[in-house]
Amino acid sequence: MNQMVSAKVLEYRSKTLNFTPEDPTEAKIPAEELHEHLQKPSTARTKRLKDRCRWKHASAGEFIEKSVTAGIERMRYLTEAHKASVGQPQVIRRALGLANVLNKGTLVLQQDEFIIGYHAEDPNMFPLYPELSHMAVQDYLMSDYSPQPAKEAQEINEYWKPHSLQSKCQPYFDMADLGRMYQVSSMEAPSFASGYNSIVPPYETVLEDGLLARIKLAEKNIVQAQKVMTTFPWNGTTGLDNIDKIDNWKAMIIACKAVIAWARRHARLCRIVAENFETDPKRQAELLEIADICQRIPAEPCKGLKDAMQAKFFTFLICHAIERYASGYAQKEDTLLWPYYKASVIDKKFQPMDHMGAVELVEMERLKISEHGAGKSRAYREIFPGSNDLFILTVGGTKADGSDACNDMTDAILEAAKRIRTAEPSIVFRYSKVNRPQTLRWVFNCVRDGLGYPSIKHDDIGTAQMKEFSQYSLNHNGATDEEAHNWVNVLCMSPGIHGRRKTQKTRSEGGGSIFPAKLLEITLNNGYDWSYADMQLGPKTGELSTLKSFDDVWEAFRKQYQYALNLCISTKDVSRYFEQRFLQMPFVSSIDDGCMELGMDANALSEQPNGWHNPITTIVAANSMVAIKKLVFDEKKYTLEQLNQALMANWEGYEEMRLEFKRAPKWGNDDSYADPIITKFYEDIIGGEMRKITNYSGGPVLPTGQAVGLYMEVGSRTGPTPDGRFGGEAADDGGISPYMGTDKKGPTAVLRSVSKVQKNQKANLLNQRLSVPIMRSQHGFDIWHSYMDTWFDLKIDHVQFNVVSTDELKAAQREPEKHQDLIVRVSGYSARFVDIPTYGQNTIIARQEQDFSASDLEFLNVDI
Amino acid sequence: MEEKKEAKNVQNQPHIEVGTSKPCRTCKWQTPDPTDPHRGQCTANRHAMGGVWKRWLRDVENLTCSKHEEGKLSFRDHV
Repeated sequence: MNQMVSAKVLEYRSKTLNFTPEDPTEAKIPAEELHEHLQKPSTARTKRLKDRCRWKHASAGEFIEKSVTAGIERMRYLTEAHKASVGQPQVIRRALGLANVLNKGTLVLQQDEFIIGYHAEDPNMFPLYPELSHMAVQDYLMSDYSPQPAKEAQEINEYWKPHSLQSKCQPYFDMADLGRMYQVSSMEAPSFASGYNSIVPPYETVLEDGLLARIKLAEKNIVQAQKVMTTFPWNGTTGLDNIDKIDNWKAMIIACKAVIAWARRHARLCRIVAENFETDPKRQAELLEIADICQRIPAEPCKGLKDAMQAKFFTFLICHAIERYASGYAQKEDTLLWPYYKASVIDKKFQPMDHMGAVELVEMERLKISEHGAGKSRAYREIFPGSNDLFILTVGGTKADGSDACNDMTDAILEAAKRIRTAEPSIVFRYSKVNRPQTLRWVFNCVRDGLGYPSIKHDDIGTAQMKEFSQYSLNHNGATDEEAHNWVNVLCMSPGIHGRRKTQKTRSEGGGSIFPAKLLEITLNNGYDWSYADMQLGPKTGELSTLKSFDDVWEAFRKQYQYALNLCISTKDVSRYFEQRFLQMPFVSSIDDGCMELGMDANALSEQPNGWHNPITTIVAANSMVAIKKLVFDEKKYTLEQLNQALMANWEGYEEMRLEFKRAPKWGNDDSYADPIITKFYEDIIGGEMRKITNYSGGPVLPTGQAVGLYMEVGSRTGPTPDGRFGGEAADDGGISPYMGTDKKGPTAVLRSVSKVQKNQKANLLNQRLSVPIMRSQHGFDIWHSYMDTWFDLKIDHVQFNVVSTDELKAAQREPEKHQDLIVRVSGYSARFVDIPTYGQNTIIARQEQDFSASDLEFLNVDI
Repeated sequence: MEEKKEAKNVQNQPHIEVGTSKPCRTCKWQTPDPTDPHRGQCTANRHAMGGVWKRWLRDVENLTCSKHEEGKLSFRDHV
């Protein structure tokens, strides 16, 4: 068994560097079990909560914990309200649907919890959404996770078929095109077929105003609109607009009142349990305190940190799981909570506590998110293996005046994450050179503990993007220069505005994927997919015999990409067209200042364009292009026909040839042959073609290269490729990460390669795996800090790290039950390693573990 | 001889047999399509390096092949 301590020494600037652990006690911990020794819950309560956490991780489309199933209550009460509200305006029907679910749904209160609330009738369940995609619900009905009674669930799904978003949108497309999308091999399925969605809720208005104030605003607006409608002289060209507005405001009022009543049901429940059932006086008092909180908020403004945490969680449940499903946990949590941290921890004015009290609250919040169940379609239970959903919050960065936005709440969030060790929620840190050292140290502590987060985003790049997109605002009310600093990651990678208005409300604005590896494969087969579906998957862009030059291959790929891209974005915009007519979100609208002011539904109003789409598997395609250019067109060692023959045989009988293609220059080595081709591939095709598109919001769509678990799924649906890859092997694991194991020239060569891609990009995910002994040594922070500053100066958008040894990963494969606390970064999210299929685990192990040489340290200008 | 070999290969690959008693739906190598529950994915094609090369199944009730095995694989053995 290897000890954690590395015997490694390095000569650097006339010094001998020894990489012994910063904490000497770690020297006794075997390398194979390091991560089982790192959790330190701040209290006995959070330890108990973690021990009994009802995880709902999914992999390969299946839930890992056997007790997890879909609940029926949400779909039952939504349907009941829909049937009872025939004839009423659609937005009112949506509000009544929400109200019926909240009024009748079973409440869940669990032992030890301080932050309460759940979105299904049982903490092992999750709700379904038949109003979105009947195919997605049907898949559940045919699975082990079907809601019960199954007959009732089937009847509900049949009822929704004609009313669902899927049925509204499908008729506007050719089913042949949609069939290609549904396979998720060259394109992600449209959201109307999967039901997948994301949102950035304007939490700020709930915490700052409270819902009673929002109701008053809506009532005032209705009175004002009615006054306009009765004022002489009547003007029909503008007066009729008030009909929709009045309906929207009325719906907002219904929704807000329902949420307040629901919170107060929780208050009553806590009081009843405290007064009639709870025997522990301490818990009794705590339940009464929770009852007091839920009676006041979210109806009234929050006054302390406990208020804010509870109001935020209720809002999360409504916006992400009850009014409509939406993935994500987007919020600028440190900025959002800072006033309440100050009131409770520093000023001790309300709900007084010390810093560790705040840390405990965050640990409890993390555990609530860890047991949140998402009724995602099968595709999304496949493509985030090892997680329950994509929960990602953002901290750090800069304020509107450019100064450091880090505060003690930032540190509490990071400390809690390090202590409790859960994969969810993931954290994004906006890195700026003005960030204070003590917070950077917490960031590093989380990174080196192998959590895989914070993932790091370049603060200046994100802010500049918000400014750029603002200029396309259709109502000329995009983010101001000051507001451009208010950004968070919407999901894994793409920045978007947070705050009281202008946030992203639906995934039709940003999100969705396109898969260049598969597109490259079918480019070499005239648009035909021989390796997975055995059908025409794209346009006919030319038989091999017509591709006489590298430019011909390049342009044929461009046409395949254009076809797929147009389909991806148009299906999103058609979804949005119908979302605002049939899937209104009156609660979300009520907490957005823009929707409140204008009387508009959140799906309809777009103030800040934020168009993005995810190219995933770009590097397999780009490395393949390099190999084709070198071996087929420059050196003329093989013809395209010979190459295709070898690919069709999955390289069987062509091993020598495969090795030549595998040895062709690869991305991530600062290579003078590969890098210009790949840079052009990103800037000219991947980004250049995408930005020609204008989406619903009036802005361009830009690429946000990443991977989630799609690099595995798409890899398994993609045949052999000219980069030397076998059919079915995983593709590249990040938007711009080198293909696993092919970045052999060290970490700074990777940075130099990646920094070359700058034009027409929104974001690109960079996965790096760093040496455990170096990161855990007394020099670890200095090296990492210098690396980050260099990364910043090179204007690279993103980077994230795995700091975990191959020994430990392999030990966890052998004995998974002993490695429940081993977390890895998969792509835009982290996961428990033992909850990932072996196929995916192997891709993590295969990633190049980067050591630092003296020349790397020199390039980084490490001062040791 | 060639014809026989061809016939054997067809049996090895998912092929239509309307009303088959061994449909892909019940096969351990099958996993449902990511979007449309009436279609599926075959994962029987695995190579030594651990790769799983899937094939799309357009009709899981009426497709079958000679590799059919009743059951369900653990998530660990899928992608």
